[in-house]
Amino acid sequence: MRLNSLLLSLVPAALASSAFAFDLQAIRVGRAETVSHGVIEHAVVLIEDGRIVAIGPDLPIERGISVVDRPEWTVMPGLVLPYSRLGLDGRAGAEFTPEVSPSPEILPRAEEYEEVLTFGITTIGLYPPGNGVPGQAVAIRPKGETLEEMRIKEGAYLKVYFRADARSKKTVKDAWAKVDEHDEKVTKAKEKWTKDQKGKGAKTEEKKDDAKPEEKKEEKKDEKAVDSKAKEFVPPAADPKVKPFLRVRDGKMLPLVSISAAADWAHWLDAIGERKFDFALRVVMQRELDIYEVHEEIVKRKCMLVMEPELSYTTSTMRQRNLPAEFANAGNKVVLIPRGEGLEAHETWRAAVGEMVKNGMKREDALKSMTVHGAALMGLDKDYGTLEKGKVANLLFLNGDPLEPGTKVVAVMLDGAFVHGEVRQ
Amino acid sequence: MKFSTMLARSARTLAVAALAVPAFAQEPAGGEGQPGGAAGADEAKKDEGDWFAVVNGDVYSGTGAVLRGATVLARGGVIRKIGHDLEIPADAKVLDAQGLRIYPGLVALNARGIASRFGGGEFADTFDPYSQNLILALAAGITTVSDSGVAVKLKRREVKGVVVRERYLSTLSYSSAAPRGKSELDAKFEAAARYLRNYRDWEEQKKTNKDLKEPAARGVDSTIRAILENRTMARFNAANRTDLLGIARLAQKYKFRPIIEGALEGWTVADELGRAGAYAVVVPRSRRDKSEELLRDGGSSIENAAILHRSGVQVAIQATSTFIDLGGIAGRDVLHLPIEAGFAVRGGLPEQAAIEGITIVPARILGVEHRVGSIEVGKDCDLILLDGDLLHYQALVQYTVVDGKVVYEKDKELYYAHIRPRPTAQPADAPDARRDKGEEKPADDDKPTESGDEKPAEKPEEAPEEKPKDGAADEG
Repeated sequence: MRLNSLLLSLVPAALASSAFAFDLQAIRVGRAETVSHGVIEHAVVLIEDGRIVAIGPDLPIERGISVVDRPEWTVMPGLVLPYSRLGLDGRAGAEFTPEVSPSPEILPRAEEYEEVLTFGITTIGLYPPGNGVPGQAVAIRPKGETLEEMRIKEGAYLKVYFRADARSKKTVKDAWAKVDEHDEKVTKAKEKWTKDQKGKGAKTEEKKDDAKPEEKKEEKKDEKAVDSKAKEFVPPAADPKVKPFLRVRDGKMLPLVSISAAADWAHWLDAIGERKFDFALRVVMQRELDIYEVHEEIVKRKCMLVMEPELSYTTSTMRQRNLPAEFANAGNKVVLIPRGEGLEAHETWRAAVGEMVKNGMKREDALKSMTVHGAALMGLDKDYGTLEKGKVANLLFLNGDPLEPGTKVVAVMLDGAFVHGEVRQ
Repeated sequence: MKFSTMLARSARTLAVAALAVPAFAQEPAGGEGQPGGAAGADEAKKDEGDWFAVVNGDVYSGTGAVLRGATVLARGGVIRKIGHDLEIPADAKVLDAQGLRIYPGLVALNARGIASRFGGGEFADTFDPYSQNLILALAAGITTVSDSGVAVKLKRREVKGVVVRERYLSTLSYSSAAPRGKSELDAKFEAAARYLRNYRDWEEQKKTNKDLKEPAARGVDSTIRAILENRTMARFNAANRTDLLGIARLAQKYKFRPIIEGALEGWTVADELGRAGAYAVVVPRSRRDKSEELLRDGGSSIENAAILHRSGVQVAIQATSTFIDLGGIAGRDVLHLPIEAGFAVRGGLPEQAAIEGITIVPARILGVEHRVGSIEVGKDCDLILLDGDLLHYQALVQYTVVDGKVVYEKDKELYYAHIRPRPTAQPADAPDARRDKGEEKPADDDKPTESGDEKPAEKPEEAPEEKPKDGAADEG
């Protein structure tokens, strides 16, 4: 039986509504690059309700389940491109607008999205434009009639543009100063509230007097515990410009800090001071890039890096080096993104990453750099980026090794439905 | 012995040397006492940080004193002791300077493009501790620069504490080419001086008469007032004899020490500038013809620095180009400060004064002489280790130390590693690559004498013109 492309295009529209019950679907391919568990030969992927329910070598397929049987295919997770301005053309200056999302800029059904979907890109992180702190990224699936259908997650990461200059450093310092201000406000409000409570409830509070100092410490540490204990206390609302930084501080969102030289790194560390929070780095690859000077520190902090798959040179020399590989081999998560903004760069993305492998990057890291690491940057790695039980069934089918330049996309599955390619069942 | 010869020098050197004497006086005590104990005598710095020692080198302290085979001991980036047979803590990082000369790090005035990628002041926020220009400057022995009037320490891989002093200088213009500005400045000085006189009178009379009103500071130029109160120094850019003379007279009248950049014809009015206590920032190689309309002396002179120095002017030396210039004719940019100083020596400037002209004098001009510019106890441990005389064209910086950390090592960096690699770079106990296993080890004392004696021996032979005979830095 053959599904033609007309029929196919009807499927995803229905996909978005979770009420639509899917039949169990099986796909048998020659090879699966799971990304998480290496390669499975003669793999069978079982899909239900847009998720992978099982994957393994030669799984038995019950009768009645529709099967796509293509032993010449290789399957891998749909590509995750977390750092993109695809289909957006807004401009902005050097603003401090951490609350902004690029969602209003998105035009559903824009050609670019449909196009990159055929390259196997199934998840995109779009960031807001501008320098300074322009806002938070939004994660989308590149298909949908409306923004709601496309949107996966708001607040995927906080974009920060940092340079070694007085202005950048001030922006960062001011932002954290406001967080401190807010914390102080919360603490004061709580103290006041506790006092009021004490005044009302007589005996129970008095008994606890001895334990009071410890209790206060706990309060500061864990707001939620206090909230549940005493239901009425509501901490004062945070300023919308402060909220994103609270999420960063609490480890709920990564800031993605754009730097372009080792000096930027040094001044970034100087600006954040003693504060402890995780952050990722966006490093724009240039012909000469002295970021290797701070390699050890970046490795020590286990920063995730977002880079182009490009080679560079040791400053003032013709000594070529593979910075993405250097960081990946040292254990950092490296996200590689297409070399340019054009569609062609998206089409040759896999091949460009393949070049990194030819220059010393581990194959495993290269595959992760296009899938699960990108998902992790956006806090989506629980659902996206690997072929594992329970993950969203975003699959990319190829006619060979994903990292070879000649390999072509033969089919793409988004949320359990084929959205590209001719699929014979 | 050494110190008595040192003290016999001119009065000015004596004054500088006097500062150094306590340091050397600690020498004998240093061998016995706890290394930390003597450091405790230092005022500002606390007893903490990593120990660092440079041993076996000839220490040219920059104050005129030379200590052969001495040790410089630093902690937390500050020099704690200088002398012989010092007790070195076990955890100290030790740099063996056998056969090398140790000088204070050089201070380059008006050096652009070294402290930051983008420039424009605010170096605390823009300093690039990884830039190639920074490495080149360190390779040239420069450890402090001034850019946009800010004194910046060339730290490597660090951005904290690089700014030593912000905008200490106040630039003024006092030229006969702009007579109006000149008379305005005269008036400002007069007003400020009158105000300060009145203020002092008021302070005095206040003791007896409490009702007396404080003199109004209105209309008094704050910069000029700061100059007269010694809170800033006046910097002029002047080349002509008449302008220099004007500045000298102005300074003498209002009793401040002017800093004069250029001072091309300074040699014609050197006595006046000396009386004014001026500092001159000269470029010994810059040349200008005398104006043919004038009968009196004029134009540039290779003796400029020497004559100014003889008249008591403190001479700082600046390179022909203030940038790092990797194109055009080599040897004229900021990386060749000692070569530039060498030209002043050619014109008769004593070697010691030439070295001071690229170390302590510019440090004074920037108001950072308490931190850098000479090797003295209590100052920052900014050292350069050379394989010969600092002013010799063949000498190369082998190591640069900033704040007690080795920030440049010639044999390990890109730029000069291939030029005359040091034979003694290998540790004495390391296996010798030139010998096969089992071969007998040659006598150990061969190596040090080779490196130690070779350099001084070849110098007078190869460059007799460069070196004036009075190498002993006598200023008379």
